[in-house]
Amino acid sequence: MDDDYYSIDSILAENQKIQCTFKVDIPDMGHLDGGTERDIKALSKVQVPMWMVYILIYSDYADFNIPAPFQARVRNALNAEARSVKLSNLVGQGGLWYGLGRMIMKILDDAPANEISNILVKVRFPLRICNTFRARLPEVIDQAQHFASINSSGGGAGASDGTLAFREGLDGTERELFALAQDSARKTKRWYEATERGRR
Amino acid sequence: MALPPSLRTSVIPAELELIASEQLVEIIPLVAMERTAFISGAYGPLRPPVKCRVPIWMATNLKLKKKCHIVPPDWLNVEFLQGRLLLETTRPEFSEMPFRFAEIAKVLLDIASEDFQEPDKIRSLLKDIREARQAKSREGLSKLDHSELSLPNLSSMEINEIRPFFVRSMGVLTQLVRDPAGRQMEL
Repeated sequence: MDDDYYSIDSILAENQKIQCTFKVDIPDMGHLDGGTERDIKALSKVQVPMWMVYILIYSDYADFNIPAPFQARVRNALNAEARSVKLSNLVGQGGLWYGLGRMIMKILDDAPANEISNILVKVRFPLRICNTFRARLPEVIDQAQHFASINSSGGGAGASDGTLAFREGLDGTERELFALAQDSARKTKRWYEATERGRR
Repeated sequence: MALPPSLRTSVIPAELELIASEQLVEIIPLVAMERTAFISGAYGPLRPPVKCRVPIWMATNLKLKKKCHIVPPDWLNVEFLQGRLLLETTRPEFSEMPFRFAEIAKVLLDIASEDFQEPDKIRSLLKDIREARQAKSREGLSKLDHSELSLPNLSSMEINEIRPFFVRSMGVLTQLVRDPAGRQMEL
């Protein structure tokens, strides 16, 4: 999530590919697209990993399109009910949806000439992503605390399909929060249940 | 970072209990003892049946050896807790409780339940209060903001329970919310 050079999460989120449209011919770089073409032609669309997108855009070699996980279809689904969207399916490999969204936000800032960074996107985009987080957070914590309490008392799973689907749809950042909340609730519960006399 | 990951996020409940054990509680001693110096201070003298204020760790030690009765603090009884439970369930804010009430109540009830009038009633009241307060801190979660969150009268045990994920969520929100003022400075 952060910009720390050593942060593994940050590196993984940068591995996500997004689609770029090249503005100029690039010789001898056709292998980037995995095709057999020798050169990248101007106006061709290529999937490029995030870490390479920065330099392409700064150097004005390419424009990028807002990737599908942040397009109108997902946006509408999130506005309708943030908790029923499976964020982990939107981005592959570990699923750091928030991390990717933040990086795209940063590029939009840094390339004001870019045609995509019009006012609408600039205003709505950041609002939406943090609203999603805020709308989903209580559910994440609720479930974490619920699971902390049933696991330690040895009960069965006993979860309905809806909560199961929600847990499967958690993004990497939310998973981390889930683990933190569960751990802390479990520790506190254990303390409340331990008796004092046994210890002394 | 020599600590294991599970201990890095916050202190553990047992450590909070240790800290709370420094607080003073009234006891009725059953043995006589001169004023004695400990690392945290001098306590005593114990002259039965005169009441004396000693730290909770000392009271529990004496109690387990059956050398004193513990006088419950004035907030640890059925009437007071019932009043607080009523406030807790009718008002939106947290009601005022001693900061370390959860730890102190648990230690005293575990060690000296026979010194209380109705220990089981007190236990169930404390549990109800705790659950009512948990529901409120959950509400606070939905109001979470990237810069500040104010939940007055939260007790130490409750703060400790919510600390790891509240801190982390606020960190995430800081990353996601774009500050217009900060952006202009960058440009």
